Amino acid sequence: MRPFQYTRAQDVPTALKRREANPNAQFLAGGTNLLDLMKEDVERPDELIDISRLSLSQIKTIASGPNAGGVSIGGLGKNTDAANHPLVRQNYPLLSQAILAGASGQLRNMATNGGNLLQRTRCPYFYDVSMPCNKRAPGTGCGALEGINRMHAIFGWSEQCVAVYPSDMAVALAALDAVVKVQGAEGPERAIPFADFHRLPESTPEKDTNLNAGELITALELPKNQFAAHSYYLKVRDRASYAFALVSVAVGLELNKNRITRARIALGGVAHKPWRAYRAEELLVGKEATEVHFVAAAAAEMAEAKPLAHNGFKVELGRRSIVRALHMALNEGKS
Amino acid sequence: MEDKKQLVGTPVSRVDGILKVTGKADYSTDHPVKDAAHAVIFKSTIAAGSIKRIDTAAAEKAPGVLAVITHENMPKLNTRGGIRGGAMLQGPEVTFYGQHIGLVVAETFEQARHAAHLVKVEYDPKNARVDFEKLASEAKVPKDKKDEKRGDVKAALADATHKVEEVYATPIEHHHALEPHATIAEWQGENVILYNSAQIVNGAQNAAASTLGLKPEQVRIVSPYLGGGFGSKGGQWANLVLTAVAAKMVKRPVKLALTRQQMFNSVGLRQRNFQKLSLAATPDGQLTALAHETTTHAAMQDEFVEPCGDCSKLMYEVPNSLISYRVVPMHLILPTYTRGPGKSTGSFALESAVDELAYKLNMDPIELRIKNEPERDPSNGKPWSSRTTVQCLREGAKAFGWEKRQAKPGENRQGNYLVGYGVACGTYPANQRPSSALVKLHRAGNDVTATVELAAADLGTGTYTILAQTAADALGVPLNKITVRIGDSDFPSAAGSVGSVGATSYANSVQDACVKLTDELMAKSGKQFFVRPTAAQLMVSEKINDHQTRVDSKASEKAEEYSSHSFNANFAEVWVDTSTGTVRVARFLAATGAGKILNPKTARSQILGGVTWGIGMALTEESIVDPRWGNFVTRSLAEYHVPVNLDIGQLEVLFIREEDTISNKLGVKGIGEVGIVGVAGAVANAVFNATGKRVRELPITPDKLL
Repeated sequence: MRPFQYTRAQDVPTALKRREANPNAQFLAGGTNLLDLMKEDVERPDELIDISRLSLSQIKTIASGPNAGGVSIGGLGKNTDAANHPLVRQNYPLLSQAILAGASGQLRNMATNGGNLLQRTRCPYFYDVSMPCNKRAPGTGCGALEGINRMHAIFGWSEQCVAVYPSDMAVALAALDAVVKVQGAEGPERAIPFADFHRLPESTPEKDTNLNAGELITALELPKNQFAAHSYYLKVRDRASYAFALVSVAVGLELNKNRITRARIALGGVAHKPWRAYRAEELLVGKEATEVHFVAAAAAEMAEAKPLAHNGFKVELGRRSIVRALHMALNEGKS
Repeated sequence: MEDKKQLVGTPVSRVDGILKVTGKADYSTDHPVKDAAHAVIFKSTIAAGSIKRIDTAAAEKAPGVLAVITHENMPKLNTRGGIRGGAMLQGPEVTFYGQHIGLVVAETFEQARHAAHLVKVEYDPKNARVDFEKLASEAKVPKDKKDEKRGDVKAALADATHKVEEVYATPIEHHHALEPHATIAEWQGENVILYNSAQIVNGAQNAAASTLGLKPEQVRIVSPYLGGGFGSKGGQWANLVLTAVAAKMVKRPVKLALTRQQMFNSVGLRQRNFQKLSLAATPDGQLTALAHETTTHAAMQDEFVEPCGDCSKLMYEVPNSLISYRVVPMHLILPTYTRGPGKSTGSFALESAVDELAYKLNMDPIELRIKNEPERDPSNGKPWSSRTTVQCLREGAKAFGWEKRQAKPGENRQGNYLVGYGVACGTYPANQRPSSALVKLHRAGNDVTATVELAAADLGTGTYTILAQTAADALGVPLNKITVRIGDSDFPSAAGSVGSVGATSYANSVQDACVKLTDELMAKSGKQFFVRPTAAQLMVSEKINDHQTRVDSKASEKAEEYSSHSFNANFAEVWVDTSTGTVRVARFLAATGAGKILNPKTARSQILGGVTWGIGMALTEESIVDPRWGNFVTRSLAEYHVPVNLDIGQLEVLFIREEDTISNKLGVKGIGEVGIVGVAGAVANAVFNATGKRVRELPITPDKLL
C-alpha cells in the first residue's frame, strides 16, 4: 500500500469537487475491494475521499418520473440493508437473493450498493502485480488467455481480456432493468440503463464501466414490474458460501396462466459484465412455461458461448442452470 | 479439599478457553515487546534463475526504513541447520516463484510494506521446471524410500479374475493456519528470544541455534499458544531466522508476520500426487495383490515425499504387495508434513480402489474390508497392540444407518438430488516420544497448588486442558489449583505436537512425574501407608511447603514389540445436485478407536476439525500452478477454498472404547492426524454411490460431475 491522503467529504458537491481537483484520487465507500487492491499494490490512489457518511443510503418508493412506482436504492446504502428492506424483499426478491448470495455477512455489512457495482474482477492475473494484465497495466498482455482460465469468460471476451465481472447483485439488477443514477461535478444527474453500465473488454479492458471519471453513483432505480411472484437467483459455486460464481442465473418471469408474457434472464460468472440472455428471453415470450421450452431457450443462448481451455464446462453448466433457475422461478423458489 | 472424581476421560472445558475468547492469550506477535520494529518480506517473481541486480536505494530512503536486507548484505548462515525450504537470502539464486529475496525493516508495518514495493529487481531467468504433468515421467526413486515388495504383485494381478488398476490424483494443498507464521526476535547480548509459533518447541530452538551459529542455550523459543499449524509449524522456515538476523542488524526487537498471500509459498505445502492403485482379488473377495505406486514432486535442493503408501502397508491382509515412490525435483517450494501426511491422500486412493473392487465383486464394501482384516501388521509381522477397524466399521455402520444404503449407484433420487452413502477406513501410528516434565507443589495451610512445566505445544487442540486433568488426578489437586506452563524452551524438553504424539508423550511424562513426586513425598514422610495417599494429602499431613520433581519419560521396550495405531471408519451421506453437479455432505460420521480418550470434548473437536478438512480435501481445496511461470494462481482464501460452515452438514463423532496399555502406560493413542484420514475417500465413495460417477481426481468440484 502506498501512502495516500485521507479526506472526509461532508456533502456530495464537495466530494465531487474534491475528486475533480485530483485525478489520482478515488472515492472510498465500504472499502471492501478498494483497500484490498491497495494492499496488493494494484490500486495506487494518492488520495481517498471518504464518501461513506454522505446521505445517499435511502431506500424509498419512486414518486415520479419514468420509474414512478418503482423503488430507489441509495448508492451508499449497505448491501445488507438493501437485501433486507421490506420494499426490496416484497417487490424484488430476486435482488435480495442475489445480494445474499454474494460475499459474507461481514462484507455485506460494509459494502455499499454503488461500490458493489464498481468492484473489480477477481482474475488472479489482475491481482498479482508481477503478472501480465491489460486491465491493470494496459499493453502487458492477458495472463489468463493462455493461462489458467477455469473461472474466466465464455461470452464477450477479447484477446485483450478474458476476465469476468464478479458481482451477484449486478446480475439481478441486469435482469430487473435497473437504472444507475450518477452525478458528476458539472451538469445534472444522468441515468444509465443497466445494460449500458458495464462494458465488454474489447480493446480497452482497463475500463470496467461507462461511468465518467469523477462521477458518483447516487442511486439505483428499479422500475416497477411483476416478477416478484416468479423470480429466482441461482448461484453455482465451488463451495456453498463465500465463493464467486462458476455460473449464476437471475430469472424473472411474468405469466398469464402458464404462458410467459415477459421474461428476464441474466447470467453471472460468464462475461466481463452481467450477461443478459436476450436470445433465451425472446424465445420464451409467448411460450408455455414448460421444460421443453426452457431447454430450447437455454440451448439457444449457450450456443453462442466461446469457452477457453479450462472453462468448457461453463457452457453445459450454464445451460443446465438456466433450465433449473426457470423451474425454480416458475415454482416460486421450490424445486 | 480435593476432588475425588477422576477428571481424565471427562469432558472438561478448556482451561485456557476464557483467555482465548477474551483475547488475552498472546500469540506470537501479540507479546508486548517494547520498541519493536516491523519487517516485511518481499519475494521473487520468477521461479528459476538468479537475481542480476537488486536496487534498494528508493526503499532505503523511504520514510521510517531502518534496513533493507537482501542476499547482498545478509550474513552467512548454516543452511543445513534444520530450517526447511531454504530462502534465507544466501545468494542470488532463485529456485521457486515467491522465494524470499529480501525484507524491509521499518518503524511501522505500513512503512515497511510501502518500502518493499519500491525495491526493483532484475533477473537472469532460466527455464522453470514447474509443469508436473510433463515432468512426472522423469521421476526417480527417492533417497529415503526404496521400493517395498512382498510376493509377486505382477503375477497375482495377471492371474486375478477381479482387479482394479487406476490412478488417483490429489492436488497441492496448503495448511493455512488461522495464525500465519509470525515471529518477534529480541536479542539480549549474545542470546536471542524468539516469540514464534512452533509445534516442536525444542526443534525450533535447535534449528534456529544451528542455523544462526549459536548454542541451543543461547536461543529461547516462547510459543505458549499456536493458532493452528497442521504440520507447517512442525519444522521451521526462513521467516524465523530472518527475523533474528533483522533484529541483530537494526539492534532492536523486530516483528515479522507473513501475509496470507505469502503463506502460499513460504511454509511448505502438501505435494501433488499421482497414485496408481492396483488391487486383485478372488471372486469371493480375498485380496491377492495390492500395489500402491506414488509419483510426486519435491524442491530442487531438498526432498520431502509424503508417505502415501503407509495405509496400504497395513490395512489389509494381502500376500503380494508393492509400495513405491518416484519423485521429481521442481521449481516449487519444498513440500512438507500436512495433516495426516501421506495417510489422508494415500487413504483416498486406497479406499477408493477398495470401493471400486467391492462394486466389481458385488460385495458390500464393509464386508470386503472385514474379510481382509489382518491378524498381525502385514508390513512387519508384529502383533497389534490393539486394532479397532472392525469395531469402527460395525458400530459406525449401525450408528450411521448404513443398512439404508442402496448398493446400486444412482438409484436414490430425492427431488433434484441423487443421494449416496460411502465408507472409507483410516489409520495413523500411535507413538510415544521422549518427553520430560517438571511438577512443583506448593502448600499454604491446607491449600495445595501445583505447577506443571514442559516445553510442549498447544496447537489450539487442548494440551493445557488434558495436562491439567492428568496432573489433577495423579496429584489429588483440584483442577483450578493447577497451572500448566508449556511452550517455552526454558522448560524441560518435550516431544512436539506433531504426528499425533503430543497427547501421548506429554500426558505420560506428566503422569510419571506426578507418580514419582508422590513416591518421593511418601519416602520423605518415613511412614507406611495401607492406602496410597495423594501428593496433596502428603503435603498437608507432612506440612511440606514446597516440593518438585522432574522425569524424563519414553516409550517402553515392550511397546516396540507391537504395532500400535489409531484406526477409524468414516461414513458419508452426500446429496448431488443433478443439474449443477454441486455436492453437499449432508451427514458424516467418524468412528475412531484411539485408545483412552483423555477429554471427550476436546477430542471430539479435533475429529470435527479433521473431518472438516477432509471434506475440504474431497470437495473444495486445490492450489493451481501456472505451468508457464510457476506462480500459484490461487493466491488468497477467496480462490483457495477451505470449507465454510455451509459446506459442512451434520457431523457425528463416535469413539470406540479401547484399553491399550501396551502402547503406553496411559493407553493414549493420539487423534490429531487420524481424524482426516479416510474422510476424502468416504466422500468420494458416496459420490459414486449417488451418481455412478467415479471421480479419481480431487477435489470433486461441480464441473467433474456434469
